[in-house]
Amino acid sequence: MDLENTKAQMRKGILEYCILSILSGNSCYASDIIKGLKEGKVIVVEGTLYPLLTRLKNAGLLSYRWEESLQGPPRKYYELTAEGVKYLNELDSSWKELVESVSLLRKK
Amino acid sequence: MKLTLSVNLGGYSFNIDDDAYEELRRYLKNLEIHFAGEENNSEILSDIETRMAELFRGKLTAYKQVITISDVKETISVLGNPEDIDDSTSTSTKEKFTSPGYHRMYRDPDKRMLGGVCAGMAAYWNIDMWIMRGIFFVLAMAGGLGVLMYIILWVVLPEAKTTAQKIEMKGEPVNIQNIKDSVKNEVETVRKKMNL
Repeated sequence: MDLENTKAQMRKGILEYCILSILSGNSCYASDIIKGLKEGKVIVVEGTLYPLLTRLKNAGLLSYRWEESLQGPPRKYYELTAEGVKYLNELDSSWKELVESVSLLRKK
Repeated sequence: MKLTLSVNLGGYSFNIDDDAYEELRRYLKNLEIHFAGEENNSEILSDIETRMAELFRGKLTAYKQVITISDVKETISVLGNPEDIDDSTSTSTKEKFTSPGYHRMYRDPDKRMLGGVCAGMAAYWNIDMWIMRGIFFVLAMAGGLGVLMYIILWVVLPEAKTTAQKIEMKGEPVNIQNIKDSVKNEVETVRKKMNL
């Protein structure tokens, strides 16, 4: 067994959940999402985020709008769609279930 | 003294050393190949370019105005090489894409007479394109079936636009060496045409 690989798999599994959580209730610029993910130590290289954002957008869970920026070209601000909010709520409850089952197992 | 180039990355203009430019170009090409099977891949690439521009800007000061090769290398390590950009769904497409002999039919825009259908088919089966043209011509004369077939194929077959697609068209594995070779060939044909 490879510990690093197992850890990486775990992180990968919750990455979508983390992105949607960061966007919950506020719209973010991609670099803000990266900052959040790095603080949470869920991504190693930044490039991982961009294909995921596009995929979530294609699935209708995210949308973005262009906003003028004082520091340069317009920026893409991402936000959750109604469907995205529903999806996040589902993930929230399944996350809680997972935490409960693990802590239950650990007590035995 | 070093030669610098000027590039537009994500809407910003950068002065970049020529060796750094080579490294950057190679990296972006690799990413393009990595995401080739992905829906909206141009969007992913432009998002990454935008982020790169942002990271590059962080490296420039009033006294340092040129992007060097070490800036490019550091930025690549932050963004990750294609093999580090670990995303579950694209690993399968990546394997499919780089596996030897991955082969698709395209229209060949470089050798076309009309839409490049015959040239593309000939490249796919590795035969002379005049054989394909002959077949279509005969079919067109005998009742017009060839015309109809040609029009349908023109619509259905995608044009081989990128270097990676042109290599796929011939059924060679897509890797950096191949792309280099085919770019070299292209440069040579242009040179010959211009009698240089």
